[in-house]
Amino acid sequence: MIKINKLSKRYGDGQDALTNINFEIGKGEMSFVTGHSGAGKSTLLKLILAIEKPSGGDLIVNGLNLNKLSRREIPYHRRKIGTVFQDHQLLTDRTVFENVLLPLEISGFPVEDAKRRVRAALDKVGLLKKEKIFPAALSGGEQQRVGIARAVVNRPSIILADEPTGNLDPNLSAEVMKVFEQFKNVGVSLLVASHDTSLIKTLNYRVIHLDHGRMVNDIGISNE
Amino acid sequence: MAEWLMISELAMNKVKAANRQNQASHRGNDVSALQIHRKIALDSAKRLILSPLSSLMTIVVIAVSLLLPALLFGLNENLQSILLEFQNSARITLFLDNSVSESQGQKVSDDLLTDNTIQSAIYVSATKALEEFSLSSGLGEVLRSLSSNPLPAAVIITPATLNTREVNALSQRLETISEVDFIQLDSQWINRLSALSDLISIVGQLLAAIVITGLFFIIGNTIKLSIENRRQEIQVIKLVGGTDIYIARPFLYTGLLFGILGGSVAVFLQLIILIMLNGSLQELIQLYSSNFELRGFGFFNSLSLVITGALVGWLGAFLASFRYIRGVNP
Repeated sequence: MIKINKLSKRYGDGQDALTNINFEIGKGEMSFVTGHSGAGKSTLLKLILAIEKPSGGDLIVNGLNLNKLSRREIPYHRRKIGTVFQDHQLLTDRTVFENVLLPLEISGFPVEDAKRRVRAALDKVGLLKKEKIFPAALSGGEQQRVGIARAVVNRPSIILADEPTGNLDPNLSAEVMKVFEQFKNVGVSLLVASHDTSLIKTLNYRVIHLDHGRMVNDIGISNE
Repeated sequence: MAEWLMISELAMNKVKAANRQNQASHRGNDVSALQIHRKIALDSAKRLILSPLSSLMTIVVIAVSLLLPALLFGLNENLQSILLEFQNSARITLFLDNSVSESQGQKVSDDLLTDNTIQSAIYVSATKALEEFSLSSGLGEVLRSLSSNPLPAAVIITPATLNTREVNALSQRLETISEVDFIQLDSQWINRLSALSDLISIVGQLLAAIVITGLFFIIGNTIKLSIENRRQEIQVIKLVGGTDIYIARPFLYTGLLFGILGGSVAVFLQLIILIMLNGSLQELIQLYSSNFELRGFGFFNSLSLVITGALVGWLGAFLASFRYIRGVNP
């Protein structure tokens, strides 16, 4: 689903954010990307989301070479990817329900089915009772879970997550990981950026370690 | 977990079924598209109400801008109706030489009636002219004290045509009649008024072009500000796959609403101006013993003013939103 070949990213100021990255994530595969802050995790996610353009190498997502992606194609590319953002990226003037509804609304989903899907997604992250509340009234952990519900509501083929457990206590973190595993089991590819090493250790998945924009380790363990 | 997957599976099947139905009949799709548009339009209206003062300012600016050229066009329509009224009574007056006797004068008048470019010819003797003048001017006493009649006899002619060139040709022919001292063309002031009306029309069109250009900038700037205010929201929508068109839609409705409301306020202002003017004009009009009355824009002109506002609002928003939304990136 994600094929990365000799990928590099240099920002306008000459700083190399990523250098010579090579890996591949198949259908139904879950991988972690770790590394200290500034190692290039966020840049990698931005490149996959087509927020930034690669400086070199190939990045193929869902069979689409992102080097050849036109401006018009970007929204449709993003719709196939569910993203959990570190800073949640929720709309403060919309309720929890409306926030989760957003991806379905954008793709013109039939209203009744959309509502059903939103409730299913909110139920999964344990926030069904808070659907009418505005994000500002929620705790950081709850906001994070709204972000997760929004990322999965569109049934994307790829889920990206940037520090999805950053604000969560260990119990909730484990819950979130369980949700991710469920998606993995139905064929969704997941790439999770995290520095929560203790959590990663308990899960026994492939871990790609970045350091100063280079891949220093790719522990390709698959538990299948 | 299994249960949840089952539920989602069920939902998926329903979605597929619904899609199939939609493909079978387009009506299902149209209804939901209509619902979405109604929702966005309502949202845009709510946003206008949420910042009433700045919305009102924009609406009034649009209204006044639209009103200025519209008033010129309205003035012109009134002028045209005056012209039409008087063109029907365009007259040529032949003042006869003093040496011409009453019977000779009558004969000149009768002869002219055989000319088929002349609709009517009425002979007014010098005596009759004096009578009429003393009645209408109220200077009867003064006139009676005069030793001789200062007024010449005249033949009043209504041409059968309203065409300026033909009327001019006719008057040139009439001037050559030996009994005629001089002639006066009553249509000259109509020609002047007609030229003035043309000028007003051109000025109105120029003003309309300038004003509409200005409105594009005003509406564009308003839309730009509201895009700036909703920058974070636009970024989020872009992150989850919203197209520029999807993002632009509420702003297009905002522009459309501004235009419609601006146009409506312009029509309303026009009515107020009309009532005020007609009140103060009444006295002046009575002096001319005319039943002339300033006319307003009427239904179709009012409607086209509102539609112009709507088009300008929408197009202004369209140009601005695509330009500025493109610049907002996550």
